[in-house]
Amino acid sequence: MQKTKAIILIASMVLSYTGCEKDDICVDGDTPLLRIDFYNVNDTSALKNVTSLQVMGLLNGNEPQAVIPNISLSAVGLPLRIGENNTTFILSQNLTPNDTTSVNRDTLTFNYGVKEVFISRSCGFVANYDNLNSTLTADADNWIKKIEIIDTLVANSLSAHVKIFH
Amino acid sequence: MLRYSISLFFMTCFFWGWSQENTIDLNPKDTVVYKQPYGIRFGIDLSRLATTFLNDQYTGFEIVGDYRLSQKFYAAAELGNEKKTKQEDVLNFTTSGSYIKLGFDFNTYENWYGMNNSIHIGSRLAFSSFSQTLNSYSIFERSRYWNPDGFFPIDSDPIEFNGLSAVWIEFVLGTKVALFSNIYMGASLRLGLLLSNTESEIFPNLWIPGFNKVTDNSNFGVGFNYTLTYLLPLYKKARKPMEKEVKTLE
Repeated sequence: MQKTKAIILIASMVLSYTGCEKDDICVDGDTPLLRIDFYNVNDTSALKNVTSLQVMGLLNGNEPQAVIPNISLSAVGLPLRIGENNTTFILSQNLTPNDTTSVNRDTLTFNYGVKEVFISRSCGFVANYDNLNSTLTADADNWIKKIEIIDTLVANSLSAHVKIFH
Repeated sequence: MLRYSISLFFMTCFFWGWSQENTIDLNPKDTVVYKQPYGIRFGIDLSRLATTFLNDQYTGFEIVGDYRLSQKFYAAAELGNEKKTKQEDVLNFTTSGSYIKLGFDFNTYENWYGMNNSIHIGSRLAFSSFSQTLNSYSIFERSRYWNPDGFFPIDSDPIEFNGLSAVWIEFVLGTKVALFSNIYMGASLRLGLLLSNTESEIFPNLWIPGFNKVTDNSNFGVGFNYTLTYLLPLYKKARKPMEKEVKTLE
């Protein structure tokens, strides 16, 4: 009788162990976003809000995509295209928010290499980016004055990879 | 007349007969000792065979065998080959390889007279050599900005990772029941603990032949089998009495 009990106990332990699989949902990692912080061009150590900051992805040079939610008015996290080696964004500020004609759009292109990194069974592979550099399309009135790449490797979204001074 | 005379001649013959000289012992002591069969038992795992037929993502077989060493101890081994394709959320891979498990079974079941069943616990040391092929995969990203319909699929030929191996120990809980003479039906549950795992840095081992699924952040794996085995009896041996019989005074 004791043996039967022991067998049932062990069998139920094994079954309960296999029943719940904790690795069905990906919680261990993610493809990082490119984090940009905005700084004051006159005081390069101070964060500066961008009035009415709006960032959109741009496809083929003329197809703006949906607005990417900001982290704050002085920071954005931008998704990079995995299948390509460059992604273009429109970053706009509007110093007079009530007047939509005064929106100043700057076009910024990031170039990078894509690395695939295995995370776990449920997450599979995520992309990391390396050799990051940027190109600002010059126009008559760029509100972005200076761009500084802090980290050419984008492996997490915890700290800024790029500083933009305005 | 002649016939009768021959019959009469037979009547004059003497026949000797014996009657019982000793009295009948109505309670004879049973002197027939049941000798238990010892030998090699071998067979196949039915579950792997059935899965091969039912699941087109799996082919595999397992040969099982044991050799009886003593009243309760058996040397036991399993030898198998498996190929399994698994579809996860973001990737699809195939693992293919062979394994061998060597160890002991200890029968905890006290058989009744003439029975030769077992409820056994056991342990194995197992080794597997295999390859893993990443058939297809997508890049996981929570931000679905550029790919709103799903994850970004990577366009690539299957990537094969060769020369993978794993070593683990296994705890076995099982039973074997005699169906007919020398034919046994068995089942066992197995809990494996991975000791070493040689894997690719790019794509780690997610499944190991014989060990089954490798779980994230855990070294444990579970498995089972349903076996049909044949006992090839080599010799018979009586069970040694547990205690010496007390001699009765005459």
